[in-house]
Amino acid sequence: MIEKVRERVRDLLSSGEVKGFLGLSNKYGNTGPHLFCDAEDLDGLVIGDWKGPGDARYTLNKQLIHIVRKYPDDVFGVLVRGCDDRGLKVLYTWNQLNPEKVIPVGIACSQDLADACECRKPYPDDFVAGEKVEGRASDSVARLDALDVAGRFEAWLKEFSKCIKCYGCRDVCPMCFCKECTLEDDRLVNNGVIPPEIPVFHLTRAVHMVGRCIDCGLCNEVCPADIPLRTLYKKVADIVDEEFQYRPGQELYAKSPLNILMQPSSTG
Amino acid sequence: MTNSISEIEDADCVFIIGSNTSSSHPLVATRIFRAKKKGARIIVADPRTIQISSLADITVRHKLGTDVALLNGIMHVIIQRGWHNVSFVEERTEGFEAFSKGIENYPPEKVAEITGVDAGDIVRMAEIYAKAETGSIVYCMGITQHTTGVDNVKALANLAMLTGNVGRESTGVNPLRGQNNVQGACDMGGLPNVYPGYQPVNMMDIQKKFEKAWNAALSDKVGRTVPQMLTGLTDGSVKALYIVGENPIQSDPDTHHVKKALAAAELLVVQDIFLTPTAEMAHVVLPGTSFAEKDGTFSNTERRVMRVRQAIDPVGDSRPDWQIIQEVSNRFGYGMDYSSPEAVMREIASLTPSYGGITYERLEGEGLQWPCPHADHPGTRFLHEGMFSRGKGLFHPIEYRPPAETVDEEFPYWLTTGRVFAHYHTATMTRNSPTLDAEIREGYLEVHPDDADRLGVLQGDAVTVTSRRGTITAKTAVTDRVQQGLVFMPFHFIESNANVLTNPAHDPVAQIPEFKVCAVKLEKAPL
Amino acid sequence: MDYRTVLTTCTYCGCGCNFYLEVLDGQVIDTIPCKTHPVNEGKLCIKGWNVHEFIQSPKRLKRPLIRRDGVLTEATWDEALDYTVSGLKAIKDAHGSDSIAFLTSAKVTNEENYLLQKFARAAVGTNSVDHCARL
Repeated sequence: MIEKVRERVRDLLSSGEVKGFLGLSNKYGNTGPHLFCDAEDLDGLVIGDWKGPGDARYTLNKQLIHIVRKYPDDVFGVLVRGCDDRGLKVLYTWNQLNPEKVIPVGIACSQDLADACECRKPYPDDFVAGEKVEGRASDSVARLDALDVAGRFEAWLKEFSKCIKCYGCRDVCPMCFCKECTLEDDRLVNNGVIPPEIPVFHLTRAVHMVGRCIDCGLCNEVCPADIPLRTLYKKVADIVDEEFQYRPGQELYAKSPLNILMQPSSTG
Repeated sequence: MTNSISEIEDADCVFIIGSNTSSSHPLVATRIFRAKKKGARIIVADPRTIQISSLADITVRHKLGTDVALLNGIMHVIIQRGWHNVSFVEERTEGFEAFSKGIENYPPEKVAEITGVDAGDIVRMAEIYAKAETGSIVYCMGITQHTTGVDNVKALANLAMLTGNVGRESTGVNPLRGQNNVQGACDMGGLPNVYPGYQPVNMMDIQKKFEKAWNAALSDKVGRTVPQMLTGLTDGSVKALYIVGENPIQSDPDTHHVKKALAAAELLVVQDIFLTPTAEMAHVVLPGTSFAEKDGTFSNTERRVMRVRQAIDPVGDSRPDWQIIQEVSNRFGYGMDYSSPEAVMREIASLTPSYGGITYERLEGEGLQWPCPHADHPGTRFLHEGMFSRGKGLFHPIEYRPPAETVDEEFPYWLTTGRVFAHYHTATMTRNSPTLDAEIREGYLEVHPDDADRLGVLQGDAVTVTSRRGTITAKTAVTDRVQQGLVFMPFHFIESNANVLTNPAHDPVAQIPEFKVCAVKLEKAPL
Repeated sequence: MDYRTVLTTCTYCGCGCNFYLEVLDGQVIDTIPCKTHPVNEGKLCIKGWNVHEFIQSPKRLKRPLIRRDGVLTEATWDEALDYTVSGLKAIKDAHGSDSIAFLTSAKVTNEENYLLQKFARAAVGTNSVDHCARL
C-alpha cells in the first residue's frame, strides 16, 4: 500500500507538479506530519498506522492551510483519507484552500478502521492505494438515542464535567478556521474556570459543527478527558441530514443549510 | 513516581491527596478519568473542592496541614479491622510493631476532630483503599509544601506498605513533579548534598571518582539550600548568587525577605529568557534560550528521560544555556569543551549509574525511564519490585504536628496557595502567551459566600489580604470551592503576589517552605 | 520555503508531553500533539496547545544587560561574560568558594543542569547548588 503512495508522491515531486507533499513520516521514532520536498527522500513516508490502523492520523489539511497562507501561488500535495477528502471539499467551498493548488493523494481505509470510526464513506473520491470498503451508520449514536432524554442528558453532563478546557477539540479541528472563536467570548462562556460552564461550552461548539463537521474524529482522539465528542457531532450531523438532506463534504460547493438560512438577511 | 503515568488507568483505586490533578497535571488526570471509566474507586482528599472531586466515590476536605492525622486515622482503621496486607508487612517491611503502636493514638473519632473529616468517611476511605487489589496514591505539593512535608510523605509510604500497594504495576506512591524538569535537575546534582545520580558529596570514594573525572579538587562540605542561601546573603556570608531560569522573587515565600536578601548581593547574575522580577534586580542579565532553541533532554515525573530538540535559531543574540555556562567556565579558567549537549550526556552517563545506559540514539521513540544502568537495559517502569532500595521497607511512626502558623484573633483566616489550569508557576511564559493571558488575566482570592457576606464583599470586589509578612490586594472570587474560614490564591500573578503573604517556615529535613498554610486577615479594600 | 515539524518535550509541567513544533521559515506557528508518544497519546492541556505563543514573544531577552548607574543597559556578550567572571573571581579570591551560590533550574535541560553544578563544584569549588524543587 505504502509503495503505491510513494510512487505517486515521487512522480509528483520529480515532475515538479508540486512544491511539496504534506504527509506523515516516521521520524524521531514516532509518527507525525512532515513536508516531503525531495523525490529521493521518501523513505520515512507512512500512512499513519502505528500500533493499529489509522491511530496516527493528523490534521494535515489544517497544516496545509498554514503553508498556503504564506505560499498561495504554489501547488502542494497532501495525503488524504475519506474524511480528509470531505474536509478538502468544505475548505474549498469556504475559500480556505484553492482546489487548483492542491493535489490530494488518496488512500482508502481498511474495514477495521472504517468500523472503529463508524465512517459512512471510508475512502476518498480518488485513491491510489487501499481497497474500497463499506461505510456504515453509527452504533454509538444509536446507543445514546436508545436512552430517554433525561438519561442522555445525564450521560453527557457526566462527560462534560471532566472537560479541562484545553480547546483541543477546536484546535485540532480542520473545520475550525475562524479568526475569532465564540468559545473564547467571556460573555457566552465564563473564562477561567474548569470544567467550563456546562453544558454551554460543549453545546456551543456542537452548534458550530452544524454544516461543518466532516466526521474525522480527531477531536475525540485529542480529548484528554476522553469525551466522546465524535458521537455528539455525529448526532448533530444526523439531525442536519434529516432536516436539510445535507452532509458536509459530500459535494464540492454544496451550500450548508446555515448558509441558505442566512441568505435573505445577507441580501437584504 | 514509583510507578508510571500510564499505569494509573489500570488501578482499582486511585487515592488523590494534595493534588489538583486536572489543573496542574492534566495528562495524569486523563489516566484517572480512564481508571474511573474502567471501574476504579476514586478517593479525593483536599482542603478545597477540585474538579476531580466531582467524579470521586468519596471526597473529603480536611483542614490545612492535617494530612498526617488523616492518614494515621485511615491506617488506624485498616489495622483495627485487619485489612492490612499481613504477608507483605512480614516479608517486605520492618518496624511494624513500633509503628502500629503509634497509630493506636489515632482513632477515627479523634482524627475527625483534628481534621474536620467525618469519622465514617475515614472508615470508608480506609476500606476502599485497603481492599483494592491495586491502589495507586497520587500526591503533589499539597502534601509536600508543609513544615511536616517529609512526615506527610512518610505517612503515605506507610499506608502503601501497610496494604502492600507498592512494587507492583498500577500501585505505588506517586508524587507529581511540578516543573517539567525538576526531576532532571535533582537527578543531575542540582542539590547541595549530592552529585549527579544522588551520589553524596561527603562520601570519600564518590568525591574521588568525581575529582578524577573532572580533574579538580572538590569540597566534601554539603552546600547551602535555597533558604540558607537567602539567609547567607542577608548575613553577608554569601556574596554572589548566580541564578539560571528561576524567579525566587515570585516563587519563594515571604517576598519582602527574598528581595532584601537579593538586594544585599554584591553580585547577582540572572540567566533567563524574560526580564523577570528577579532579573530586574540583577547586576548582569544573560539571555538564555527557550526549550525550542536548543537540544537536550528533560526527565519527567515518571523518571522518563526524553529529547528536547532545537526547532528554531536562538531569538536575537540569546544563546543556549549550556553554551553560556561553558563560556563562563572557560573564562573562569576551568576548561569545558563540549561540542553539543549529546557530548554532555555521554559524560553524564559515564558518571551517573542510573543514567548509565542512556544515549541520544536510545531516546528516540518513547525515551527511557531510569534506572537504566547499561546499554542493554530497557529502563524501569516501576520501582521497588521484590525489594526496596534499602532492602526492607521501614515503617516510620509519625506523630501529627500542627502547621507552623495557625489562625488567631488577629489573623482569623487560613490561606492556601496553588495553581490554575491556564498558567504555570510564576507565569513568565504563560502570561506572554496571548491565549493563556486571555483565559485568566489576573489573580484572585477565593472566598466562601458566608465569609464574603461577613466582609461585605461581592464577586469581583477588591480585598486586602494581610499576613504577618505583608499585605496585598486581590479581587474576590466568591465560591463554595473553599470552606468557610479558608481562602485560596493562585501564586502566578505578580500584581497580587501571594508569596508576599506565605510563611517561609520550612520542613526541617527537606527545607520545603509551608506555602500551603498561613494565617491572614481580610478587609474590604477602599474603592 | 523552510517548513518543518520538530518533535520535542513540553516545557511546562512534569507530565512531559511530546509534541511537534510547526515551524515555517523560522517562525514557530503551531503545536501539534504527538499521537504515538506514550505519555500524552496525542492529547495536550491548554498550556501545551499554546506553547508556541511565548517562544518568539517580542518581550524575550535578546541581548545581555549590565547594570550601569543603577540601570540595566544592553551590553555585548564579551562585556557581560567578563563582568560575570571577573565578579565571581574577585568574590572567590576575597571571600572563598562558599561565598558564591548557584540556583540551577527545573526549566533548563539535564545537560545544562549538569554543567552548572559541575561549574559550581569543579571550577568555583562550592556545593552550594540548589533549585526550586521545593517550590
